[in-house]
Amino acid sequence: MTDRRRLAWALGALMVLLLAFVVAALFVGSAALSPGAVMRALAGRAERESVEAIVTLGLRLPRVLVAVLAGGALAVAGVAFQGLTRNPLAEPSVLGVTSGAAFGVVLAQILGLGAGVADAVAVAAFAFGGALLAAVSVYLIALSPGGLAVQTLLLAGVIVGIFFSSAITVVISIVDFNRLGGVIHWLLGNLAPVPAGSLALFAALAAAGFALILRSARELNLLALGEEAALQLGVDAERLKRRVFLAAALLTGTVVAFTGPIGFVGLIVPHVLRGVVGQDNRLLVPTALVGGGAFLLAADTLARNIVAPAELSVGVITAFCGAPFFVWVLRGRSVRPA
Amino acid sequence: MKLALALVVVLVAARPAAALVVTDMLARDVALAAPPTRILSLVPSVTESIYALGGQARLVGRTDWCDYPPAAREKPSVGGMINPSIEMIVALKPDLVIATDEGNREETTVQLGRLGIPTYLVHAHRVDQMLDMVTRVAGLVDRREAAGPLVASIRGRIDAIRARVAPLAPPRVLYVLWPEPLIVPGRASHLTELIELAGGRSITAGEGESYVRFSLEAAVARAPEVIVLADHSASGTAAGRQSPEKWQRLTSVPAIKAGRLHSIDLSILHRYGPRVADGLELLARIIHPEAFR
Amino acid sequence: MSALVEFRDVGFAYPRPERRRAQRFAFDAVSFAVEAGEIFGVIGPNSAGKTSLLRLLTRVLTPARGDIRLDGRSIAALAHWELARQIAVVPQEAARPFPFTVEQLVMMGRFPHAPGRFFESTEDAAVARGAMAATGTLPLAALPLEELSGGERQRAMLARALAQEPRLLVLDEPTSHLDLRYQAETAELLRRLNRERGVTILLVSHDLNLAAELCDRLLLLHEGRVAKAGTPAEVLEQSLLERVFGARVVVDKTASGRPSVQLDWAAERR
Repeated sequence: MTDRRRLAWALGALMVLLLAFVVAALFVGSAALSPGAVMRALAGRAERESVEAIVTLGLRLPRVLVAVLAGGALAVAGVAFQGLTRNPLAEPSVLGVTSGAAFGVVLAQILGLGAGVADAVAVAAFAFGGALLAAVSVYLIALSPGGLAVQTLLLAGVIVGIFFSSAITVVISIVDFNRLGGVIHWLLGNLAPVPAGSLALFAALAAAGFALILRSARELNLLALGEEAALQLGVDAERLKRRVFLAAALLTGTVVAFTGPIGFVGLIVPHVLRGVVGQDNRLLVPTALVGGGAFLLAADTLARNIVAPAELSVGVITAFCGAPFFVWVLRGRSVRPA
Repeated sequence: MKLALALVVVLVAARPAAALVVTDMLARDVALAAPPTRILSLVPSVTESIYALGGQARLVGRTDWCDYPPAAREKPSVGGMINPSIEMIVALKPDLVIATDEGNREETTVQLGRLGIPTYLVHAHRVDQMLDMVTRVAGLVDRREAAGPLVASIRGRIDAIRARVAPLAPPRVLYVLWPEPLIVPGRASHLTELIELAGGRSITAGEGESYVRFSLEAAVARAPEVIVLADHSASGTAAGRQSPEKWQRLTSVPAIKAGRLHSIDLSILHRYGPRVADGLELLARIIHPEAFR
Repeated sequence: MSALVEFRDVGFAYPRPERRRAQRFAFDAVSFAVEAGEIFGVIGPNSAGKTSLLRLLTRVLTPARGDIRLDGRSIAALAHWELARQIAVVPQEAARPFPFTVEQLVMMGRFPHAPGRFFESTEDAAVARGAMAATGTLPLAALPLEELSGGERQRAMLARALAQEPRLLVLDEPTSHLDLRYQAETAELLRRLNRERGVTILLVSHDLNLAAELCDRLLLLHEGRVAKAGTPAEVLEQSLLERVFGARVVVDKTASGRPSVQLDWAAERR
């Protein structure tokens, strides 16, 4: 089966899965709406100010869209970091990039930036800055003449992550102790319905990051040959790395700006997809976009229904899945003969 | 060297004989050598109570958060509630430290105990506990005579407010401590009682323990008639102010249709001190404006 | 016959020693030419600059002085991908980790011919299959590279280089990790490619006898300079080798008439 055909099949199957999850997410929730009520609201036949219209169209639908966007963006960022570092364990939260972005967001909020659309651009910019700072730090710490060794990379990611998490706590407790409780909850990830203007901004930024990475997918494959060999094949390795780095940081920062830090999506989704479509980044990147969206949506639907009407943070679900997954991948690597 | 060490051990281990034993609000016995004259308060509501009782002469120290009344800022501060500087506490030579089990760490109490400084713990979740706390604090600062009138005046104001709102039907109230993620007061939160005293019914009164991370759509489905947003901005950053836009979109909610979306200053309502009546009145005016015309 | 590759008075120095105790390495006034269609070998002791020469040729490094020309044109004027259409390098070892299959590896060699494409074309696939057929790796196409033996991996990497359809094939220590059987196979394969496809081959090796057997001409490097260039018989001369390598050697002739170099064990033992 040619690459194109395999991509088409995989994308088709994932879209179906995503659609199923979207439908499920719209019909379940702690407001206990009947399926009929939901359908009326979706068809536009419910009264504009009725509970079902507000909940379905004003709360559930935007939240579903945010989850799909965020999940897709995080999964693609994961693929990008893995291609750059040639390491399947690399992903935004493991590398501390998510924490860096979260620090950026907290800083923006301390400076008084709120949740309106205009402010959202600035918050996203701060988040991007924080993500970039973290990513560069990890890269520089882990860089050695032999390339980026697994252990060093992971350790560097842990250190950078801890550093930024501590920085967040310090900043909050010095500046505004009352907010500490709320922020700590936010740090576990928060998928909330985002107003349409902000959602459009979110989608635009995510699309930009995605496009950059997709364009670089073929060259990312070649990077696996080693930078020198890639250069000898005509790949401008330095520019490629920079481009992919920036795009991955952009995706991470954007997601964190809108949903708070959520981890492990970029680890789980690409890994599962590799079992289905193989190692080629040209197939992984688009399928990760759809698969990541489906995954995070499923996790969020679980998170908001499992202890209803209270809610769990979606980050808790992804972490519970992610931690054992991490161990599995790590052991899989070390068991293979070197 | 050995002599010095032995001397230190003896000094630390030696404790003055207890002349006085009081029981604190967690049923601990606190042994004191004499009635306390140098009191350090690690609790903002206790600091407020001490000033309201006129006992501030015996107050030697406070925390950064003890900022009411303004005169309190003249007393030296030992830092935050969670991490006060033990050194500064010791340097102020208190003979009693008052702390709470919510907001101060148990470790602080333990450390002070090792250093021979007794700690008196207070715990106030409900109004009657809070009034009890005022009475006890009055005993500690030797202003017992002021306790009666103060408690009576607070209780009087509370009763007056209750009387005003009692005949009115209690509306469903949503109190938003934090908007994203949505955090609301639960069963054990003092806010739930306050809402009830103010003539409302919190839609999250039956949930969880003190504070619950709640589902926005469940809140919408419960159709609150009044929404109160806790305003954190008094502590200085604009970020603490909640933005009403997010709530305005929820047009199925009776509170939004009727325009009953209000902000309330966090610092008054979230301290359980003598100003609780002030906080209660603010809340009652929001919930039952018709009773206060 | 025109020179395919020309080094003219090339000078280069690494900015600082790669290892602290190593001397500052410099290339100095290196000039030589590789004729189209020949098999050219670069030999010399370990720090003589053989790898640096490769890197200069593929523009991984830039010379401080002098000029390197490909088919008469200075390579400094060529973009990396343009260069990659003409020169293909088979590295000493496969990169690790390398999670792709043999076929995916070989297809990577098509990149310089259409760097703007997302997926490779059917023509690319045909060229790749041809390269795999020529190296006997077609049966291995669907296997992950890491599951292959050393010799098979080498052939897969060679297939990738061939897929670039280069005029010059460069091999860096092609037999250093291979056992005897695979050494023979590789040598035969290279000869065949040179004969049948007319591919010019430049190989860097520390195996003097392989170089002697396989190459039409040799370049002996010593401390960044050209010690000698010429036929194997001319270059593999006893006193020259002893001077360059610092060891006593004996030069014989093999059955095919090529020189054969042996360490003079008897002299060493004395």
